[in-house]
Amino acid sequence: MKEFSYTIKDEIGIHARPAGNLVKLIKGFSSSVTIEKQGKPPINATALMKLMGLGVKCGDTVKFTVEGDDEDAAVKSIEQFMNSNL
Amino acid sequence: MDYNKCASEILSAIGGKDNLASAAHCATRLRLVIADNEKVEKSVLEDIDGVKGVFEAQGQLQIIIGTGTVNKVYDEFIKLAGVEASSKDDVKKAAAAKAPWYKRAIKTLGDIFVPIIPAIVATGLLCGLLGGLSKAFPEMADSQFYTLLDMFSNAALTFLPILIAVSAAKIFGANIYLGAVIGMIMIHPNLINAWSVGDGTDLPVLWSWGFWDVHATGYQGHVIPVVIAVLLLSIIEKWLHKKVPEMFDLFVTPLVSVLVTGFLTMTVIGPVFSQIESWVLSGAQWLISIPFGIGSFLMGAAYAPTVVAGVHHMYNAIELSMIADNGKNIWMPIATAANVGQGAAALAVALKTRNKKTKSMALPASLSAFMGITEPAIFGVNVRYVKPLIAGMAGGACGAAVASIMNVYATANGVTGIFGFLITTESVAGYALTFAVSTAVAFILSWMLYKDPAEETAPAAEPAQEPASEPEVKPADSYDDSCVYSPLKGKAVLMADVPDETFASDVLGMGAAVEPAEGKVVAPADGEVSTLFDTHHAIGLTLDNGMEMLIHIGINTVELGGEGYTAHVSEGDKVTRGQTLITFDIPLIKSKGYPVITPVIITNADEYTDIRKAGCDEVTYLDKLIETAR
Repeated sequence: MKEFSYTIKDEIGIHARPAGNLVKLIKGFSSSVTIEKQGKPPINATALMKLMGLGVKCGDTVKFTVEGDDEDAAVKSIEQFMNSNL
Repeated sequence: MDYNKCASEILSAIGGKDNLASAAHCATRLRLVIADNEKVEKSVLEDIDGVKGVFEAQGQLQIIIGTGTVNKVYDEFIKLAGVEASSKDDVKKAAAAKAPWYKRAIKTLGDIFVPIIPAIVATGLLCGLLGGLSKAFPEMADSQFYTLLDMFSNAALTFLPILIAVSAAKIFGANIYLGAVIGMIMIHPNLINAWSVGDGTDLPVLWSWGFWDVHATGYQGHVIPVVIAVLLLSIIEKWLHKKVPEMFDLFVTPLVSVLVTGFLTMTVIGPVFSQIESWVLSGAQWLISIPFGIGSFLMGAAYAPTVVAGVHHMYNAIELSMIADNGKNIWMPIATAANVGQGAAALAVALKTRNKKTKSMALPASLSAFMGITEPAIFGVNVRYVKPLIAGMAGGACGAAVASIMNVYATANGVTGIFGFLITTESVAGYALTFAVSTAVAFILSWMLYKDPAEETAPAAEPAQEPASEPEVKPADSYDDSCVYSPLKGKAVLMADVPDETFASDVLGMGAAVEPAEGKVVAPADGEVSTLFDTHHAIGLTLDNGMEMLIHIGINTVELGGEGYTAHVSEGDKVTRGQTLITFDIPLIKSKGYPVITPVIITNADEYTDIRKAGCDEVTYLDKLIETAR
């Protein structure tokens, strides 16, 4: 199991488009991924509606928990995606 | 894989058998109704060997196991849980199984026929029109255009067994492609077309056993033999699925299923039916020889049931021999009386019913029957509700008696119904009266007898089937229940045509988009607001039917920061169908340079087998926008 946190730099936060792309990216891995926004229970990162429902804004910190056979690759891809999009 | 182990692990992960309300399965998933969802350990479930995924939908805990294995796990599961006898689902099914066999058979027949009605209506109407036109303008029949149209018009009827076989395979839970193959075998071009078979003698022999010859006759236009053949296929296929080891299943089961079904169909079902057909033929010939209209009366009543049984294909042999004999075809008016009787009975249903689906089916079916193509009316409407069938038979009987007493005859054959006037020029008045009497009697009786069944939709969704152990099969008409009704008014467009890669490539899910004409979004169905963006440019709904939906007003409009949008609900609100969710200012949004096109997206698209835009262009609020199937 691997964990990492990321603080959103994008002004708008995780809205529909990045959420959709993030879910698509994560679905490509067999690992299970959860996202946790401070003060809220973690959600399954492939649940698009729940992800959008988190209402992640600029400055918020989200914690990813990745577990599975390809967790190393998944963490790397997700970090890369977050850095370049959010 | 160890089915017993998998089943027992699932049972413990869902909190034991006390926490289980009912269990069923479909082609790939266990569908469990859980008493207390808190006790379900989802993460444990997902880790069980053999479980490919877990989610909740439609009030069920659905555990994806996979084709071919889910039924085996299910069998072990219900043994362990001991739910079969007591679950609600089984009680319902057991109740359905208590209905008399003929009622279940009739319902199944209707379920099979309903999905293919559009095909039959389209070509049936064309067929009737062409038949009529070619009798009115004989020179037209020689034109190349006619040849072309003729091909269009008889394609569906010529290949009817394939359509029936596919639909029946769906209902019976057989592989639909194997079903299609059985249909194809039955009308293989190497067989003689059933419509061109005269009186049953001198047919080429397909296979001789010395004491019994199998004739090479096709099944064009047949219904019942095809349904029986596919039923047989489904039984054989399911039995093999259980017995054949998984690794051989993929090639052994289809091969053996088709081989055995094809063999039995051609050598047993076929000959039995052609024997019955020739009995029906002699019976019909004897009947109409009874004088004073009595024989015709009886034949007029019996005609429709012979269509139901699919043994009416040799009637044109009667017509041809009459024309050859003295030029007077007295059979055709009887057929007309029977056909328009069924049409009028279906028309009464169409006008009386309050069920939109029944209405939209009965109306074209009735029209087609008046033109002489009765299958849609008989199978799609009248047989389902039985009473209209009887009303139609009564109309047919009375009309046929009139025809006989008035000495109505046709000078040719090939058309009935409205276009029959063209070949009854010698006795127009009598033919008109035949037509009128049959229509009136059938219509009035059907109007008086027909009542909308109390629970039409619920039983229609559950085709007659053996309890529990068979896969859950939905007839194709379940589409209507699963439609998305438009939350906006405007022009419906394909998602692929939305000018934004993220939406067009279905990253967020599947659906359709609306180019709005008014700045208002309403709830497409009852449900809950699961997400409302602060900027009010998009809203997520979880509908009561399990569908998760995102309505995204405009492209990149998150950047407007809420300007131009007003929300009328907040997150967590329960909403009802038609309730206003968001209003927005189209001119303002456009003036800021953003497209206002609004994708309506089903975000849990993975749970559906099919999602597509409905066939509409201009939609208003709550018009059908998207069709789905699970």
